[in-house]
Amino acid sequence: MNKVELAVIGAGPAGLAAAIEAAQLGVKVVVFDENAQPGGQLFKQIHKFFGSREHRAGTRGFRIGQELLAQTEELGVKVNLGSTVFGLDKRNLWVLKEGKTEVYQADAVIVAAGASENALAFPGSTLPGVMTAGAAQTFINLHRVLPGKKVLMVGSGNVGLIVSYQLMQAGAEVVGLVEAAPSIGGYGVHAAKIKRAGVPLFLGHTIAEAIGEHQVESAVLTKLNESFQPIPGSEITLEVDTICIAVGLTPMMELARMAGAELKYVPKLGGHVPVNNDNMETSITGMFVAGDVCGVEEASSAMEEGRLAGVTAAEYLKHIAGKAAADRKALIREQLSAIRNGTFGNKEHLKDKVKEENTLGLRFSGTPSKDELDSCPGVPSEGRLAKGPVAVIECVQEIPCNPCEQVCPKGAIKVGKPITSLPQLTENACNGCASCVTACPGLAIVTVDRTYDENKALVTFPYEYLPLPETGATVHAVNRQGERICYGQVVKVRNNKKADGTVAISLAVPEEYAMEVRSMAKGGTK
Amino acid sequence: MTETNKKEVIICRCEDVSEVEIKQAIEEGFTTINAIKKRLRTGMGLCQGRTCQKLVARIIAQETGKSMEEILLPTTRPPVRPIIMGAFEGEDQ
Ligand SMILES: Cc1cc2nc3c(=O)[nH]c(=O)nc-3n(C[C@H](O)[C@H](O)[C@H](O)COP(=O)(O)OP(=O)(O)OC[C@H]3O[C@@H](n4cnc5c(N)ncnc54)[C@H](O)[C@@H]3O)c2cc1C
Ligand code: SF4
Ligand code: SF4
Ligand code: FES
Repeated sequence: MNKVELAVIGAGPAGLAAAIEAAQLGVKVVVFDENAQPGGQLFKQIHKFFGSREHRAGTRGFRIGQELLAQTEELGVKVNLGSTVFGLDKRNLWVLKEGKTEVYQADAVIVAAGASENALAFPGSTLPGVMTAGAAQTFINLHRVLPGKKVLMVGSGNVGLIVSYQLMQAGAEVVGLVEAAPSIGGYGVHAAKIKRAGVPLFLGHTIAEAIGEHQVESAVLTKLNESFQPIPGSEITLEVDTICIAVGLTPMMELARMAGAELKYVPKLGGHVPVNNDNMETSITGMFVAGDVCGVEEASSAMEEGRLAGVTAAEYLKHIAGKAAADRKALIREQLSAIRNGTFGNKEHLKDKVKEENTLGLRFSGTPSKDELDSCPGVPSEGRLAKGPVAVIECVQEIPCNPCEQVCPKGAIKVGKPITSLPQLTENACNGCASCVTACPGLAIVTVDRTYDENKALVTFPYEYLPLPETGATVHAVNRQGERICYGQVVKVRNNKKADGTVAISLAVPEEYAMEVRSMAKGGTK
Repeated sequence: MTETNKKEVIICRCEDVSEVEIKQAIEEGFTTINAIKKRLRTGMGLCQGRTCQKLVARIIAQETGKSMEEILLPTTRPPVRPIIMGAFEGEDQ
C-alpha cells in the first residue's frame, strides 16, 4: 500500500492546476493519468484560447499545457502517466500501471477526470471513416496524419467548429457542417472562420446515413422539422471519406459515483455530475472535483475550478486556514464568475425556433448581419474610415475574451468588465497598426485603409493556412461568406513571432470591396 | 437483404447489438439499462459502455417515455475502464 497526501486523478488543465495550487501551499501531491502524455484535452488544442490575460488568452492550448507541466515539475509534483485509476472508495485508489495493480491510500482526493465524447448511431455509423471529432483532432495534431481528404462534420458546438478549422489547416477539405438545431452552437467567431473558408453550413439538418462498401464514400443528410423529425424527400448526398461526430461530451463521473458521491442530473452540464459546492467539495469528506467531470465547460474554467479544489484540499489537509484560505478562494471565485458571465450555454441554441425574422446574423449564418455590424461598437464610422487605416472589430457576440484590449499600444480598444462585454473602439485613437489583427484568437479583426490608393483600399486580415502567399502575388479575395468576390494583390505578409503563427496579410483590393473583403481563398493564387 | 436489414443501426459496436434488437428487448419488458445489458450484453464490451450507454438510454426514453435522468445511472462495478484480466492479482504477487 502506497500512502500519498493528495491524489489527483486526471492530468488535464483542471488536475494540473489543482496539483500546482495545492503543492504551492505545501501539500505533497501525486497525479495519475491514463494517457502517456499529460495535459488532457489541452495538448490537442493548437488554436488560441479565449479568456483574459490571467487565463493566458490568445495563447495556443498546448503551450498552456507546457506551462502547467513546467510548474508541476518545479514544484516536485509527481505525475504518474499510463496509470489508469479503475477503482476508488473514500480514500483508496486502485491504479493499473503497465499491467500491474497498485493501491494508493490518500488523505484527500481530487477527481479531475474530464469528459468523454458522445456517440451518434445511424445506418453506416460503424463504417471505417466515421470517428469522433476528438479522434480526428488526435490524428492531425498529435500524430500529424490526415484522417481523410473530404470531411463532413456533425455538430456545430465549439468542438465541431474548431476541429473543422484545424482539419482545413491540416489540408483536408470540409465539405459541410451539419447541425440539428436551427442555429450554431459554438462561438460565432469560430463559425465565421470556417464560413470565410467557404464551408457550407447545414443547420436544421442531421446525418441520415453513411454509405460505403468498405469505408465511408458518401453521407446522406436530411432536413429536420421543428420537432427534430426528418422531412422525407429532403435528402442531400455529399461525397465524403470521413465523417466526424462532435455531438457533445459526457462527464466521466464513474469514479466519483463508485466512491459513493451524490450525483445530480444536469442536462446542460452533459449528464450526471457529482454534486459539489463552491469549494469544489463533493458529498464525501476529503473528496473534491474540478473541470469537465463536474460539468462540461472550458479549459479556462477547468483551471480555475482546479485551483479552487487545490486550495480547499490544502485547507482540508491543514496547510492553509482561516482568512488566508478564504481570501485565496474568493479571488479564484471572482475570476471564475467573470469567465462564466457571458458564456452562453452550449445547449441554449436548441431553443431557438426557426422563424423567418431571426435566421439572419452570426448564430444562424456564421456571418454577422448588416444590423449586427452597424450596431457593433468595434466598427468605425464612415467618417473615420475615410481618414486612413483603422481597425474594424467584427466581434458581435458576448464571449469571455479580451486580448484585443491588452495588445493595443494606443489604448484604443476597451473591453473592461465584465470580460464578456463587446470590444469598443475609440476610433480616433487607433492608427491602424494591426497589432490587434493577429492577437485576436477569434480572428475577428481586420484593418482597412480606404486612403491606400486612388481606387484601391488596403485590407489587412489574419491568416493561418499554409502555404503563405508571396508578396506581389495576385490572389482571390473572399468575403465573410468565403465567396471569391475580386482579385487582390498581396502587399505585405507579416509573420511576427509574437503572433505565434497567425500571419497578417495586407491585400490591395478595389475600393468598393473594402468593407466586403475579409480574407483570401486558401492557396488562392490567381 | 431486406430494406430494414440494410438500414440496420448498430448501437453497441463492441457487442454488435442493433437498434432493432434493443427495441425488441424493450417490448419484451427489458426497460432499464441493466436489464438490456443482461439480455443483450450492451455495455459489456471493451469500452464498458462509454460509447453506447447514452444511446441505449435515449432509445429507452423514446420507447417508454421515461426521463433520461431516471434511465441513466445503472450500477457499475469496477472496472471503470477496460483492463486486462489478471491485473487484479498484481497486488498479491
Ligand atoms: C476540440 C476542443 C476544443 C476546445 N477548445 C477550447 C477553447 O478554445 N477554450 C477553452 O477554454 N476550452 C476549450 N476546450 C475545452 C477544454 O479542453 C476542456 O474543457 C478541458 O480540457 C477540461 O479540462 P479537464 O482537466 O476537466 O479534463 P481533460 O482535459 O479531459 O483531462 C482529464 C484527464 O483525466 C484523465 N483521466 C480520466 N479518467 C481517468 C482515470 N480513470 N484514470 C486516470 N486518468 C484518467 C484523462 O486521460 C485526461 O487526461 C476544447 C475542447 C475540445 C475537445
Ligand atoms: S489597429 Fe493598432 S491602434 Fe488600432 S485598435 Fe488595433 S492595435 Fe489598436
Ligand atoms: S475582438 Fe477582442 S473580444 Fe472579440 S474575439 Fe477578438 S480578442 Fe476576443
Ligand atoms: S459500444 Fe457497447 S460496450 Fe462498447
